[in-house]
Amino acid sequence: MTVPSSHLFLLAAILFSIGVLGFFLRRNVIVVLLCIELMLNAANLTFLAASRMHSLDVPGARVDLQGPIFAIFVIVIAAVEAAVGLALVIALYRRKQTVSLDDVSLLKD
Amino acid sequence: VANALFYLTAVLTVVAAGGVVLLRNPISNVLALLVAFFCLATIYLLAGFQFLAAAQILVYAGAIMVLFLFVIMMLNLAHLPGLEPVGLAVMKRGKSAVTLAVVSAVLCLSAAAVLGTPATSVLAAQPMPAEGLDAIGPTAGVTTGLAGEMFGRYLLPFEAVSMLLLATAVAVVVLAKRNRPGEPRA
Repeated sequence: MTVPSSHLFLLAAILFSIGVLGFFLRRNVIVVLLCIELMLNAANLTFLAASRMHSLDVPGARVDLQGPIFAIFVIVIAAVEAAVGLALVIALYRRKQTVSLDDVSLLKD
Repeated sequence: VANALFYLTAVLTVVAAGGVVLLRNPISNVLALLVAFFCLATIYLLAGFQFLAAAQILVYAGAIMVLFLFVIMMLNLAHLPGLEPVGLAVMKRGKSAVTLAVVSAVLCLSAAAVLGTPATSVLAAQPMPAEGLDAIGPTAGVTTGLAGEMFGRYLLPFEAVSMLLLATAVAVVVLAKRNRPGEPRA
């Protein structure tokens, strides 16, 4: 693949923006969590694109491995976040019978 | 061929991500995100990160998405009527204009920065090897080197993440546990 790394960065930026849009515009807790996952994936793609860019900068050098390492850690954090978030959704649904963020404003009011 | 495959996959990823935001049924949202994850795994593979592609499919598509589907089906959320405006009606909400403006401004700035980079920059001046990372070394070296780094320099973060996973397992059980009457609240 000879695509310039900047196009990978652009794709990551687009995915992150879509995630931000969904995060602010949707009111379903599940969809908000999905949008967070999307944003974390965009961050992953940025890590890998940066690693690829640094590897390609110096021909013959060793592959830069910090990007993939951090991407693995981000995947673990995403799994943890999904598990805790979904447990909260279950607890919320059990107490209030809703998954709409408009109905959960206890700390706001 | 690899380049064409990349651009095809990138467009498909963006379309699937749009589906995550705009579709009505939560199950459709999850399935759209699944498509996006598979496309991203393809991109990782094209860029030479085989292990990350495998982890992406196993952890994201395999575990996390099943968790989401499980919760949606357990709570029977697919049949909640009229929960919120969806589709393009989502854009008509009050604060959405501000959000849309900010996000599109940031996106335009980053696009201008990426695509408008002058030809004298470091990035554009580099000749691109024919096969991406394959041209640098044998591809098996990426995964092997990854293991060496993970259990060498990054051993402490690795152990910390293990503890985090354990703590999460306990916390999720506590959060989702049903409280019996007469029992003190957690």
